[in-house]
Amino acid sequence: MTPVVTVLLVLCGGLAGGFIGALTGLGGGMVIVPLLTLAFHLPVPEAVGISLFGVMATSIGAAPRFVGTGLNNMRVGLFLQIAASSGALTGAIIAHRLSARFLFVLFGIVLAYSAIMSFAPKHSDSGGADADSLLARRLRLASRYRQNGEWIDYHVTAVIPGFLVMLLAGLLSALLGIGSGAFKVLAMDRLMRLPFRVSTATSNFMIGVTAATSAGYYLSHGDVSPVLAGAVILGVLAGAYTGGHLVKVLPVKALRSLFGAVLLLVALQMLLKGVFNI
Amino acid sequence: MKEIARERRLLNIWIVRASVMLCLGFIATGLTLYFVHGGHIPIPPAGSLAHILYGIVTGAAVWHAEAFLDAGLLILLLTPMVRLLAGVYVSLRMRDALYAGIGLIVVALVVIGLLAGQSGI
Repeated sequence: MTPVVTVLLVLCGGLAGGFIGALTGLGGGMVIVPLLTLAFHLPVPEAVGISLFGVMATSIGAAPRFVGTGLNNMRVGLFLQIAASSGALTGAIIAHRLSARFLFVLFGIVLAYSAIMSFAPKHSDSGGADADSLLARRLRLASRYRQNGEWIDYHVTAVIPGFLVMLLAGLLSALLGIGSGAFKVLAMDRLMRLPFRVSTATSNFMIGVTAATSAGYYLSHGDVSPVLAGAVILGVLAGAYTGGHLVKVLPVKALRSLFGAVLLLVALQMLLKGVFNI
Repeated sequence: MKEIARERRLLNIWIVRASVMLCLGFIATGLTLYFVHGGHIPIPPAGSLAHILYGIVTGAAVWHAEAFLDAGLLILLLTPMVRLLAGVYVSLRMRDALYAGIGLIVVALVVIGLLAGQSGI
């Protein structure tokens, strides 16, 4: 395969990743890393580094949808970002010391979990907290947002458990080249009981910063091919844009099930590669 | 206070839009040059931010595809940091030292990531 064909195929892979990500709610990294490692036989750190740039592109590309809506809780985002970025930094440093087979197994497990979660119903608000926890009060995390012309106040709780889940989300993001959005929303939506729309908007901002922390490491470590990363970025952005627009006209439920099943198969292949080196 | 909140929104919108446009412009130019020249896939060397910047300036002068691609990657990488710094600036204007400090800690973690990678830790 000539280099030009390889770059074109990676561009198409990015396009598919962005498209599937927009339809299933999973990030493009879930598609990019298996593509680069299984199809193009890139070493895991290189695939992860390239994928993290795709993750950043998706986060920044989606940002205009959230910026200025008042949904983003900057205080929650900044406080939890200490955990997510610390996890990401640790993950980037230890990724080069872990065996590729271990990373394949870990990726397979996380991909299977995320694919199964993509079948779960969306926009499931866990019900807001009745009052702020002591730490949430000290950090002034409670806020409000506007919906249908009305201000809706909300409280925040379980700050420490949320912080710990963010540490794990950052670690996984850096080890596997994914956005870990599912874990971030889990922490804010389910544990800290933020409204779903607020946790989604806040998570979008955090995914970009978390990916930047580890992507900087991978870039300056010499793991990121600018040609392949550029192809992934363009592909992912175009795919996410197309998917975001076609989501209204395509049979999304059926496609979500189809892509969810495909991702489960990819997860199985990653597990087999990790366990048996097949 | 409302004025500062509005300023924060506008600042964020401006940063995000400018970043997406510049990043896409540089990457599209880089990939076009790459295809036109029918290039190869080089193994990227580990390097400091200064080293990457030097490569961009010298490479762009001779329309080298990698220089434009590196510029796009760097803009993408620096965007979250610029958004964080804008948040720190707004927090300082609101005399909110706690969140200005937290913002600076996060910026420091991103910078440590860059430095740790180049030093091979």
